[in-house]
Amino acid sequence: MKQRGFFTDTTLCIGCKACEVACKEWNQLPDDGFRFTGMSYDNTVELGASTWRHVAFIERPVPLGGQETGLGNFSWLFMSDVCKHCARAGCLESCPTGAIVRTEFDSVFVQPDVCNGCGYCVVSCPFGVIDRRADDGVAWKCTLCYDRQKDDLEPACAKACPTDSIKFGDLLELRLIAEQRVQDLHTRGVTEAYLYGADPASQPGTEGLNAFFLLVDKPEVYNLPRDPVAPANRSETGWATLAVAGLGMVAAAIGAVWSTRR
Amino acid sequence: MIPVDPDTTALATYYDRPILKQPVWIWSVPAYFYVGGLAGAALVLGAVAQLTGDPELRPLVRTCRSIGAAGHVIGSALLIHDLGRPSRFFHMLRVFNVKSPLSIGSWILAAGGIASGLAATAPERKRIGRMIGNIGGLAAGTLGIPLAGYTGVLLSTTAVPVWYKSQRYLPVLFVSSAVASCASLFEMLELSPRETRIAHRFGAIGKAAELVFMTAVESDLSGDSVTAQPLRSGISGALWTASKVLTVASLAVSLMPGQSRRTRVAGVLGTMAGIGLRFAVFYAGFSSARDPRAASGGIGNENT
Repeated sequence: MKQRGFFTDTTLCIGCKACEVACKEWNQLPDDGFRFTGMSYDNTVELGASTWRHVAFIERPVPLGGQETGLGNFSWLFMSDVCKHCARAGCLESCPTGAIVRTEFDSVFVQPDVCNGCGYCVVSCPFGVIDRRADDGVAWKCTLCYDRQKDDLEPACAKACPTDSIKFGDLLELRLIAEQRVQDLHTRGVTEAYLYGADPASQPGTEGLNAFFLLVDKPEVYNLPRDPVAPANRSETGWATLAVAGLGMVAAAIGAVWSTRR
Repeated sequence: MIPVDPDTTALATYYDRPILKQPVWIWSVPAYFYVGGLAGAALVLGAVAQLTGDPELRPLVRTCRSIGAAGHVIGSALLIHDLGRPSRFFHMLRVFNVKSPLSIGSWILAAGGIASGLAATAPERKRIGRMIGNIGGLAAGTLGIPLAGYTGVLLSTTAVPVWYKSQRYLPVLFVSSAVASCASLFEMLELSPRETRIAHRFGAIGKAAELVFMTAVESDLSGDSVTAQPLRSGISGALWTASKVLTVASLAVSLMPGQSRRTRVAGVLGTMAGIGLRFAVFYAGFSSARDPRAASGGIGNENT
């Protein structure tokens, strides 16, 4: 089966939040409490157990490359964030129940009838995506519309996106489109444009993202980590030091018992 | 290429919002770290005492097995209490996921529970009972080695900066603290003179190691003030410091000569230190996950 994913081109996003609404509607997700944050136009705040698309609004005192605006030194960045469906996924590797699986479309899916809500995936996601819902105690995140894909439909967010900022399709094709887009933007003067997580080489810690992005500022500006790593990459050191510590403990026990013999 | 900010002091954030999610775990998780660690160390000590074949140590072996078995029961209950869906606790044994320290730990806990349960309940008067008890005791002691410290590996195999960046010493620190906690519990019990000496010596090593590896964690993070922050300030910082002071006090009191009352004081201090340390490390992870500067792994945050 083909690898399918998202390419979210943030330079095309107009911040309409149709993706957020389409996702909520299709997946029948509960509301987030309708809080007013004062953070630009962002009242969704973050991805969570019942928010699987989140549009970030960044107001910068810097113009976008090659552009002039009536407002002077200003540019407004929008970015529709989503689960990255990492090629090496921290949540999937950490899951002790086998609830989190990789689908035939190469996306990462949580089986809600298997998850027992241990919460280990929550601290294992370097992007802070997956979370446990308070009402049913189970971990939830974007499914890449697994149900729609089964019927050959594109995910609800991509379907609703009016500017095609969210592109869905075959991963290899998306990468070619994305690289072409970066070159186009560079020739038009938006030299800041770059791809985030498009391939394993640029993001070794996750071995690349099946939902990758075109950004025009530093990852932190969009609330993305600069160097995300699937935690299991690092577990060898921990086990090795535990082995040494364990031997030390046995030696301490032998010492304590032996030294007190008559 | 990802752009680099030349100004390393002011790292950009998104309205200071956290990048990572807060852990969803509750108090029962660090409580388990303490109980499980203690049980592991007790079973190791029990197995070593059993292997000497010394009849004088039989009461100690029995006490260790009972503490170990009780620790498995209480620890499992604490972990199940933390689950979002407690009734699905047995899903932990649906798969064996070698990449997940939590999965490995669940199997260790399940197997150790059976072994220590057999060891603690097998009737000593019958020959077959003693055999089952001894086999169970050795198996539980072997499983007690990883049980005492796998929680350190579990925490350091996450995306939470203060946990994963202390991966070199966190498992050793947890094992040291397990030994100290186990000995501290023994110091609070009614023991024979030899058992008291064993508890003292086992505890002295554990407490000294606990201090050494707390310092090692601190110095490992010293070049990274953003990540180390939770160990220096807030509730986690206060607990961390308190735990260190209590360990020093417990070690000092236990090294003073004689008197059973002093021994008991050392045990109480050491127990408080062990519990305090687990909660300190646990809550440090919450502050760390909240800080976007620690999580972004950006320039100025790494030791580059």
